[in-house]
Amino acid sequence: MALLSVRDLVVQFKTHDGTVHAVNGVSFDLEEGETLGLVGESGCGKSVTNLAVMRLLPQPAGRIVSGHVNFQNEDLVGLDESEMRDLRGKEIAMIFQDPMTSLNPVLTIEEQMVETIKAHKKVTGKEARARTIELLTMVGISEPERRLRDFPHQFSGGMRQRVMIAMALALEPKLLIADEPTTALDVTIQAQVLELLSRLAADHGTAVILITHDLGVVAGMTRRINVMYAGFVVESATTADLFAKPSHPYTVGLLHSMPRLDAQPGEPLIPIEGTPPDLRFAPFGCPFAPRCAWRLERCWKEMPGLEPIEAAADIQMTGRGATHRSACWNRPTAPEAAAGRPLRADFTPAAQPTEVA
Amino acid sequence: MISPTTPAAGPAAGTGAGPSSATQPLVRIEGLRMYFAITRGILISRHVGDVRAVDGIDLSIEKGETVGLVGESGCGKSTVGRTIMRLYRPTAGRVIFDGQDITAAEGSTLRAVRRRMQMIFQDPYASLDPRMTAAGIVSEPMEIHRIGSGQERHERVRDLLATVGLDPDYGDRYPHEFSGGQRQRIGVARALALHPDLIVADEPISALDVSIQAQIINLLEKLQGEFGLTYLFIAHDLSVVRHISDRIVVMYLGRVVEIAGSRDLYERPLHPYSVALLSAVPIPDPAVEGRRRRIILTGDVPSPSNPPSGCTFHTRCWLRERLGNPERCVAEAPELREMATRHAVSCHFAEEVDGTAEQVQVTGRPGKASSAPTEAPAAPVPVAPTAPEGTRPRYRAQS
Repeated sequence: MALLSVRDLVVQFKTHDGTVHAVNGVSFDLEEGETLGLVGESGCGKSVTNLAVMRLLPQPAGRIVSGHVNFQNEDLVGLDESEMRDLRGKEIAMIFQDPMTSLNPVLTIEEQMVETIKAHKKVTGKEARARTIELLTMVGISEPERRLRDFPHQFSGGMRQRVMIAMALALEPKLLIADEPTTALDVTIQAQVLELLSRLAADHGTAVILITHDLGVVAGMTRRINVMYAGFVVESATTADLFAKPSHPYTVGLLHSMPRLDAQPGEPLIPIEGTPPDLRFAPFGCPFAPRCAWRLERCWKEMPGLEPIEAAADIQMTGRGATHRSACWNRPTAPEAAAGRPLRADFTPAAQPTEVA
Repeated sequence: MISPTTPAAGPAAGTGAGPSSATQPLVRIEGLRMYFAITRGILISRHVGDVRAVDGIDLSIEKGETVGLVGESGCGKSTVGRTIMRLYRPTAGRVIFDGQDITAAEGSTLRAVRRRMQMIFQDPYASLDPRMTAAGIVSEPMEIHRIGSGQERHERVRDLLATVGLDPDYGDRYPHEFSGGQRQRIGVARALALHPDLIVADEPISALDVSIQAQIINLLEKLQGEFGLTYLFIAHDLSVVRHISDRIVVMYLGRVVEIAGSRDLYERPLHPYSVALLSAVPIPDPAVEGRRRRIILTGDVPSPSNPPSGCTFHTRCWLRERLGNPERCVAEAPELREMATRHAVSCHFAEEVDGTAEQVQVTGRPGKASSAPTEAPAAPVPVAPTAPEGTRPRYRAQS
């Protein structure tokens, strides 16, 4: 039984400029102790999906329009705020991109961490303090007794993110959602934090959802990956499968548009032309069609489902045997994925039909 | 398509030989220091120390070449770029642009030089005036330098917008009407307006979405081929720098720790910091990632206002630890010395980085034993990556 099971989640924001279709029917499962990567660029819905899971959507604009979020067999969508508050931190914890804005600048590290622990556990101040020191030691803060009295601004970026990880793991949650945890950090500090995160998650058996735009980060960190675009999961596979045979044009595009450290210098990049769609318009057809080199006429009109790439396969949502699925009418073949462009003779991407425009 | 693998690919590089060649480099900096004073006190400000952003750098950039400047935040890489542009007056050292010493240039002399060097900034949202149209932004440099008539400028703006891949008819739109990638194209068009020789690009793509970054990289490469531009490309992302650069300069705490061709740096890094930096860059391929081993540097970068003595990297150096913490690293600052052709490193013990074990860590490929010279060579030693295997396995791998 999956720890977390998200089904057909639809999230919209009501704004002055109209309704923003942020998440358009996302489903995924996560087992205990599993790591899942959510990859996509800004505005693809990866963060909003997880804010919806935590029921932390900005109010009153954000709204879960439909769908279910089952966590340990309980649908979180129906819970009231006080029930959610019990769950947050204790069962599901979250760490954010910028540790400076997620720590309270006017409280010492001790005050913030002790408060978190005491809010959920019946412990004395002394016990909470001891636990805080233990946690800071665990994340590699030297001289924790002294640093407890420091304020967040006295810590470096990497150390703040360590404090965030310590706070997130303080109550031994079942699920940790890490939203771009290393994007604000330098690459050597990123390596430290990622190493710490994966070691601690493995030690505690914590399931992790790692949200990032960097395919390199998920390659070494996760077992499975969902690639998101414009509020849809467009490809879902085990990490090994996703990189070995990417089967959605967007995934192929991402892999070819980033220079790789191990590429030959001067190897040309193949950019994804155009820009991501304006989410104020209700999705119509495949959202990637305007930028896609593989598009057919059908792509302009019908959004394909997230289907197994091998015909008639049973769908297994999680684990090592998770079924490789992609939402595409015209999947790139393996040689095309390697080349980064369609190789079929006389193939040209279908022009936008006039009645759609 | 231009090939940035060799400096000779640049149209004006001539021989592509080393700095001693007869061709004059476009930019040369010597012993550059840029300190920013730290002051205390409200009425009487006292000088209590310096942030040593750049602390003694020598570098030359050949015409038509792309030099990448990498390092972590606070290492001084942006300050180097800005000092070359003479946005700062250096504390010490010289900046020579095309044979002319501009270290202390002012007024009209400086303005004349600045025509020939332009900058592209990181944040396309902050670097464009929101109250000017795209055409106004692109034509402003020409107005400042009084180039062409109004009609000529108008024509040139349309040309420039087309060159960077924007519709010339969008000239009367305002920055907020463009996406991030399009705004960066406007920034590029503005930089091109005066036909510069040198473009300093300071993190030009790091604020852009991944799918857009490649568009801008390809555009910069195309423009270099078309106009024979020289780039100083400043970025923290080694994969991007390696892709676009002919040579890479690695900086740490205001100093250069290694200069190498972009292929050499990856295949055969010689400074322990470069090795750690390369090994920390994730590669989007789980098979490769599984074989690589990260060198996790402990701690943070020390403060540039109070840098460690001797080699500034000694507080975090994994190599020093392995060698039993030799005193020399604390006592003596290493000089930048040439270990192979066009490959310089500033480390007392660079010979100990023999490239075999490090290659596995960085590339995940079984190392071909390289030919790290045992003694500092009197003459430059050619890079011979095909030396017999296992000649000198100083150590196997990190545990």
